[in-house]
Amino acid sequence: MHPDLSFEQAPPISVPYRFFLTAPWFGVAAGLLLVWFGEVAVMSRWTSATLALTHLLAVGFMLQAMTGAVLQFVPVAAGGNVSRPTLVANVVHPGLVLAALLLVAGFLSSNAILFRFAGTLFLLVVGLFVAVVGTALLRTPARGATIMSLRLALVGLAVTVLLGATLVEAIAVRKPWPLVEFANVHAAWGLGGWALLLLAGVSYYVVPMFQLTPAYPVRFARLLAPTLLVVLLVWSLQVGGSSPPWQRFVWLAGLTLAAVFAVTTLWLQHRRRRRVSDPTMLFFRGAMLCLLGVLISAVVMTIFPSLADEPRSAYWLGVLALPGVFVSAINGMLYKIVPFLNWLHLQRAMGLGMLPPNMKEMIPERAVTVQMRLHFIALGLLLAAAIWPELVRVAGGVLAVSCGLLGWNLIGAVRFFRAFRDRIRAGEPNLAP
Amino acid sequence: MPRVIDGRELQPPEPLELALMALDTLPEDEELVMLLYCHPNPLFDILRRNGYVWTEAVQDDGTHEIRIRKA
Repeated sequence: MHPDLSFEQAPPISVPYRFFLTAPWFGVAAGLLLVWFGEVAVMSRWTSATLALTHLLAVGFMLQAMTGAVLQFVPVAAGGNVSRPTLVANVVHPGLVLAALLLVAGFLSSNAILFRFAGTLFLLVVGLFVAVVGTALLRTPARGATIMSLRLALVGLAVTVLLGATLVEAIAVRKPWPLVEFANVHAAWGLGGWALLLLAGVSYYVVPMFQLTPAYPVRFARLLAPTLLVVLLVWSLQVGGSSPPWQRFVWLAGLTLAAVFAVTTLWLQHRRRRRVSDPTMLFFRGAMLCLLGVLISAVVMTIFPSLADEPRSAYWLGVLALPGVFVSAINGMLYKIVPFLNWLHLQRAMGLGMLPPNMKEMIPERAVTVQMRLHFIALGLLLAAAIWPELVRVAGGVLAVSCGLLGWNLIGAVRFFRAFRDRIRAGEPNLAP
Repeated sequence: MPRVIDGRELQPPEPLELALMALDTLPEDEELVMLLYCHPNPLFDILRRNGYVWTEAVQDDGTHEIRIRKA
């Protein structure tokens, strides 16, 4: 059975949109950083360029888009009453932008003050977000796999930020803490505990709804989040500074869970009722294939340890995970959610006797298709750069153009919305676009 | 004879668009029947605001059969 949506508690359209419109420009910055720094960003996960690049994507692009999505999704699909969403967005949105910029600047300059400001700001802003959204999720009468995924995703975000703030403090004051193990746990909670669980919880709704697939299997949807939580807790034991060899199997277990989600989604897409493939479906398919690719790569690295020891293997996995899985999935979701929200808000303003324009007029499909192709070309080049690092500047350039086009397409959709809404307010008799 | 809109193969908001177009010309004593794979709260919000009533029955295959008429 498909889940229910209710738009009576939906926040004003500006609440999610400010986050959606900001996210792509962090992707542009990530691409430009690659153009600037070139091969040094490929060589190791620990260079300042690589850390800055990782966080431009994870905190800039992903966290912006996902925060906006949560503020929209929790009231509409989870029945959670988010208190004062506009005020929360007014604080969280600029706070996250500033914190991300400070953090990236800290990595690039190794300036302790920037790190400490970034860490403090993240704790405050994300703390507010987790408190408000967490309260809404705890109080909602709704039950089911999506609610559980969202609740645990929020826990994942809180843990990620706590660990991240601890890491930047340790870097800032040069504490002799086990930074590698801390970073491994921080990355796992960020990508697995927060991003993957949020993607899964939202997918349980939007994949059947927009891609006309059957519903996700109930037992799988109920078990994924708590099982992944157990894996993350065991993985977290290494923060004490010791990472015994069996932790490699914990890592593989977590990636296997993620791969099961990927295979399930691909299987549902294969069984979809309508055979037409649109860009959202293709973005999602690409994301799931990359998620599968992460597990396959990890297994190969386990069988051939010399590959795992190669510093560029971390870059390879990072490209699959960040631009491969999450930037792809977010691209696909935004191209459905933004026109859909436009349509719903315009319909409410128009009343029964009139219809808003077709969703395809809000973002032309040709523009979406061009941007999608650029995204996957960028992804291919980024992966190829792991083998031929001299490709990385071109890859960065294409990534920047792709993200810029995404941003431009979304701006176009918002301009379309505003223009039509203004015509409704002006009482124009003929509202043909 | 009620009008029937089968929205089970359609992406949102196409079922909603077809419903709104049909309701605009629906005679007072006729019913509109919608077949969907979900519980369409956005449609119900609109119906409630515009003076329509409806019944909903879920079939064995998961189809929601929604019968709408003027209050």
